[in-house]
Amino acid sequence: MVPSASANETNIKLPFSFIFVSMAALMASQILLLFQSDFLMDSQFRVPGIWSAAHLFILGWALMIAMGAMYQLVPVAFLTPIWNETFGFIQFGVTAIGTFAFAHFLFHDPQNALIPGIITLIGILMFLFQMFMTLRKQARPTILTLYVGTALVCLLLTIGLGITMLYSMKSGAAADYYFAIFKSHLLLGTAGWFTMLIFGFSYKMVPMFSLSHGYSMKPAKLVYPFYAGGLLVAIVSFFTESNVTLTFGLLLQLIGFAIFIYHISIILKKRVKKKLDRSFTFALTAILCGGLIHLAAFITALTGVFSKVVGPLLMMYLFFWIAFSIIGYLYKIVPFLWWTAKYSKEIGKKDVPALKDMVNDRASTPVFVCLVVGIFGVALSLFIGSKAVFITGQLLFTIACFLFCFAIAKVVTK
Amino acid sequence: MTLKEKVLKNLKRVMDPELNINVVDLGLIYDIEFPEEDSVYITMTLTTPGCPLHDSITSGVRYCLEEMEEILKVEVNLVWDPAWSPEKMTPDGLKQIGR
Repeated sequence: MVPSASANETNIKLPFSFIFVSMAALMASQILLLFQSDFLMDSQFRVPGIWSAAHLFILGWALMIAMGAMYQLVPVAFLTPIWNETFGFIQFGVTAIGTFAFAHFLFHDPQNALIPGIITLIGILMFLFQMFMTLRKQARPTILTLYVGTALVCLLLTIGLGITMLYSMKSGAAADYYFAIFKSHLLLGTAGWFTMLIFGFSYKMVPMFSLSHGYSMKPAKLVYPFYAGGLLVAIVSFFTESNVTLTFGLLLQLIGFAIFIYHISIILKKRVKKKLDRSFTFALTAILCGGLIHLAAFITALTGVFSKVVGPLLMMYLFFWIAFSIIGYLYKIVPFLWWTAKYSKEIGKKDVPALKDMVNDRASTPVFVCLVVGIFGVALSLFIGSKAVFITGQLLFTIACFLFCFAIAKVVTK
Repeated sequence: MTLKEKVLKNLKRVMDPELNINVVDLGLIYDIEFPEEDSVYITMTLTTPGCPLHDSITSGVRYCLEEMEEILKVEVNLVWDPAWSPEKMTPDGLKQIGR
């Protein structure tokens, strides 16, 4: 019999710091968006209020929450302890200050957003360094390491391109490539960083939450070259301004995503746990949404209308795939974190609650319904140009975000 | 009741918090040995190598056995080979999971 690796638990305060600050950023971003209806109705997406809300949502919420989740998931998924926890707390402080200051400057004084942008960059670089030092200690790298490692590289490139854009705005350098850099920044930040990360951790979390065993991991080796290749081809298309190349890149990504969906369905067929938690089912639905959005992106590129629908498609990708995956998984991750902190020393000594007692899984359904209806309302308003529909949809979405944050915060009272 | 039966009975107090099934019915306990009169050596596994409840469950096994009058020393050996599979669950465990 082969003995296990040693203990790999992370100080709970580290992931919780990221998670709680990220929820403040989520609420701030959604409230800020509520007041941007006039610009959104005129399809003016590159204005200070929307820039600020988008960066608060992506950097403040999604990125911070991904960092917090990684501080907890990397040690358990890769059986490797975090390289330096103290460094992690410093990184948290730098990233949080940088992100909120960056959002503030983007809103009030975009021309001077470079310095807070650099502070954010330092925070993210510290995170990347922390993860690099952690992953290099992994005894046996797996296919998951490749996904997570690629996601981290994409994050580095995204931030690098973002700073290049800011520098370009200030100095006029590389002005000819500004839009190619901007598109690459968006692609690598969404499909590169988040999708690769969600792919990697889904391969750990889906079998864990469904108790699946005896499935093959071979399709994961096919997903990677198609999806990563698709990203690369799409970036080339931005710089060469070739629609044919872009269509081919989107096709490769679609094939990669389709294989991923097929693989997850195989894993779920091998599950022991018959009834899946509602929040987990929501994360699984997000996978299907991601696939459909990739399909829509390919079809619209094929029919030559991609550039007209890319805004709403990107928004749906951010919400239906990335945000909903994170929200679904978070309903499982946060109760686990708090349970570990409060009850891991009590198990075996006295009766302790089960993880399902830590959060009201049933109450997550109305939150998910409101999120879906709200985002559909916002997407519809962008198509038909109705301010009233936008405000109703965005308000519903903001309320659902608040209920989600409340449910997560309530876990610590259990 | 033999000492091994007593140990098994006590181990049933340790629940997997995700599945809410005890470690015995989940089939996580591979072997129970008594190297000395007042010591027990548990060989066990978890449902997955990256189980986030790694330390909690093994500590729970240790705590619940240390409480027994007959036991002074508890050693827990966590192994991944042979890997856990649903076939290792008891009929009670399978019933609790809805199978």
